[in-house]
Amino acid sequence: MTADQISSVTQRPESAAPADRIRAADRPRSSMTSRRHRAFYMFASPWIIGFLLLTVFPMAYALWLSFTTFDGISPNWRYVGLGNYRELFADSQTWDALGRTGLFALTSVPLSIIAGLGLAVLVNRPIRARGLFRTLLYLPAVVPPVGAALAFKQLFDQNSGAANGVLNIFGIDALGWLADPYARYVLLMAVLWGAGNIMIISLAGLQDIPRELHEAARIDGASAWRSFRSITVPLLSPVLLFQTVTGVIASVQTILPLLLSPDGTLNGATAIPQSNYQYMMHVLVEYFAFGRYGYASALLWVLFALILIATGLIFKFTSGVVFYNVDPEAQK
Amino acid sequence: MTAASLPPKSALRIRVNRLVLYTVLVVITGLFLGPFGWLVISGLKSPAELAASPVHWLPAHVQWHDFADAYRLIDFLGYARNSLVIALIYATLVTLSSAWVGFGFARLSAPGKKTLFGILLGSMMLPQMITLLPTYLIFARLGMVDTYWPWVLWGLASAPYLVFLFRQFFAGLPRELEEAAIVDGCGYAGIFWRIFLPQSWPVLAASFVIAFTWTWGDYIAPQLLLSTDRTTLAVALMTTYVNGAGVPVTNLKAAASVMYVVPILLIFLVAQRGFVAGMSTSGLK
Repeated sequence: MTADQISSVTQRPESAAPADRIRAADRPRSSMTSRRHRAFYMFASPWIIGFLLLTVFPMAYALWLSFTTFDGISPNWRYVGLGNYRELFADSQTWDALGRTGLFALTSVPLSIIAGLGLAVLVNRPIRARGLFRTLLYLPAVVPPVGAALAFKQLFDQNSGAANGVLNIFGIDALGWLADPYARYVLLMAVLWGAGNIMIISLAGLQDIPRELHEAARIDGASAWRSFRSITVPLLSPVLLFQTVTGVIASVQTILPLLLSPDGTLNGATAIPQSNYQYMMHVLVEYFAFGRYGYASALLWVLFALILIATGLIFKFTSGVVFYNVDPEAQK
Repeated sequence: MTAASLPPKSALRIRVNRLVLYTVLVVITGLFLGPFGWLVISGLKSPAELAASPVHWLPAHVQWHDFADAYRLIDFLGYARNSLVIALIYATLVTLSSAWVGFGFARLSAPGKKTLFGILLGSMMLPQMITLLPTYLIFARLGMVDTYWPWVLWGLASAPYLVFLFRQFFAGLPRELEEAAIVDGCGYAGIFWRIFLPQSWPVLAASFVIAFTWTWGDYIAPQLLLSTDRTTLAVALMTTYVNGAGVPVTNLKAAASVMYVVPILLIFLVAQRGFVAGMSTSGLK
């Protein structure tokens, strides 16, 4: 849909307005309803059309490609059925990359949430310059990935990095932070640097918790920790669940390992240190370094299926734990 | 005065607690500012100082000209302009289209709306990298590589996250707003354009800022879709700043990174309130 078409859609009902004005009051109810129905689809259409053309169709295209040997150049591509899937499941690289991605999600997501929630609790206390602390702690979360990666490459540079400067003070030899086996920790720190995002979202949740609950707990003699565990965490659990799900999805598709690698470009994706060679990096290498669109599409679809399964499992296992606070006022 | 009336031990404890709290906060804030601070410092050093071992904590002579050099070594302004044009195109279109779609989901009903809304919410969780790669192949086949058309299309298609933001806002407005307008014979498009859109400027601003920073920060889409001359600053930062021998000019790259990030930080600081409100809404509120 082009901009012109949208504006023509916008114009149409207005030009019909004079006729409507006469009949609007005594119009039969059913035509009002059908007019609302048509209007809804008129308003939803940009999203529906966009979703079909830019999400559903590419995914279907990738599914079809995943059954072929298509590489974008050679005209002699073949249909290979499940051949790509068989190959990728038999390849130890797939499993290694998957394992690293899983480990990264299992560490980075809980750590980010703990860090974000911890910061939120800290800056929710009545302290001086609270707004300033919030702003400064949140600021790194708005730094774009490329800026964050270049900052961390500089910070952990073998020669000019501050990290090795600190080690030197303690008489420890310089480490090759950006290479194996340390690269994974730099990646983790770069992710945790953006914990301000979770802080802000948790903070909004914290401020919604009625003050009386904590006061009542204190009068009953509950410790601060007990009150945090039994009041704050359960009431924040929907927010925490949402953060877990979006965090897992974000961690699985992060391109930070690529940006942190020595070269940092798609052509140099093969130079990513082994410990950061995650599943998405494997996809990029197969896609762009080797141009195996068919095989890489199969990898993508396997990842997509795994994400769906992981999301489903998270929702299933938390369904008894997450506490949805139903506000009686909102029900009226 | 209150402290004096309390037992001395508890007054001391409160003071110690407070001291610990502020120390922890200051240290953490320092750690959070560190990486960016180091980038700025590195951008003010000479190449020789950057290579020195052990590390020089602060430049002996501040090399302000690094920033000017970084600006001249590559066509910095040209890349910044490309980033700006793409971000403006996308942010404007996606804000308007998401408001339009959000209005439909908030104020109108039709059979199938619930299902569609479920799909919309679910699609927020679709990993964008997974759809981007095949989309790139399709755009390449349609000859849209090295044009800004992909961003126009993405903009017109609206973004589920922003649609949700607008839906939440429009759903909270009083019903009388459109009822009066309907009796007056105003079409729904007119109601949206003349009544609802002007009311929603805080959300419009938040949406625009969010979409702008997404696009300014995006690396993979411009890297795939645009050639070296038409690409964005994010891509240029990663792929350029090497000398004749192909060795990265680290101090200039650091200076350039600072110049790339600072506009986003400024936009955030100016638009902080709406930005944070938008972010918190995403946290399932």
